[in-house]
Amino acid sequence: MIYQILNKLDQKMHIENAKAHCDIPCGIYDPIVAQISALTVVRMLDLMTEFEAKTPDRNKEYMNSMARYIAVKEEHAERAKAEIRVIWGDYLKAQHLEKYPNAHALVHKIMQLGSKVRQTTDREQATQLVDAINEFAQMFWETKGIATKRAKAPYAPALELVYPAL
Amino acid sequence: MLRLLKITGDSLTPEFKEGDFVFVSRIPFWFHSPSTGEIIAFRHPGYGLLIKRIQHTTPKDGLFVIGSHPASIDSRVFGPINQKDVIGKVIWHIRKP
Repeated sequence: MIYQILNKLDQKMHIENAKAHCDIPCGIYDPIVAQISALTVVRMLDLMTEFEAKTPDRNKEYMNSMARYIAVKEEHAERAKAEIRVIWGDYLKAQHLEKYPNAHALVHKIMQLGSKVRQTTDREQATQLVDAINEFAQMFWETKGIATKRAKAPYAPALELVYPAL
Repeated sequence: MLRLLKITGDSLTPEFKEGDFVFVSRIPFWFHSPSTGEIIAFRHPGYGLLIKRIQHTTPKDGLFVIGSHPASIDSRVFGPINQKDVIGKVIWHIRKP
């Protein structure tokens, strides 16, 4: 009762915050970077497949372009892993883990898929990475009490992503 | 005299959680100096308005403040704070349901 009154007061008057922060108190966490990075991995695989099909000569031009696609794929797979690790390690607290006991297993799955997409050119593994990070994003926004929606990314490969429904 | 504050962050969990409200006041310090174990709100020049627990007092009116969480940003990072920066002691804690 008292809490509800104070909460209403806060919504109207914006009570000053006292920070009980850990780490650098910026509080900015968002899984969207990991989601876009995973999508980029899929995009690079698609570009590699297209390029391979239309380029019969395995000359140095071919090697150069293919190496660039692979480099971007490597970079974004690692970025996706790093972004998830930060949210998992810095943002998720004991009370979140109690509510989402699958969180550790999900993060481990993302780490494994992130490595797999670096080692291989398997598109199926890459889309699984997108799906797993979407699942993580869903959980993340739920911990903040923010509803989510699913929508196709407005760029190739146009896979479905989880967004906060703001 | 009396301030109402809302807690953000998790450095004082499980006792104080994000979204809880606290009333803080300097009145208790009219009768005694800040002492070990008390939860205080204070202003830090770099980090702004913070809330932490006093671990111990230091010479020259210093207070060594800490959070419960190992990754808490507190005196282990920025050193002791000065008593003049203390806004008050937590005298009433209203928990988020």
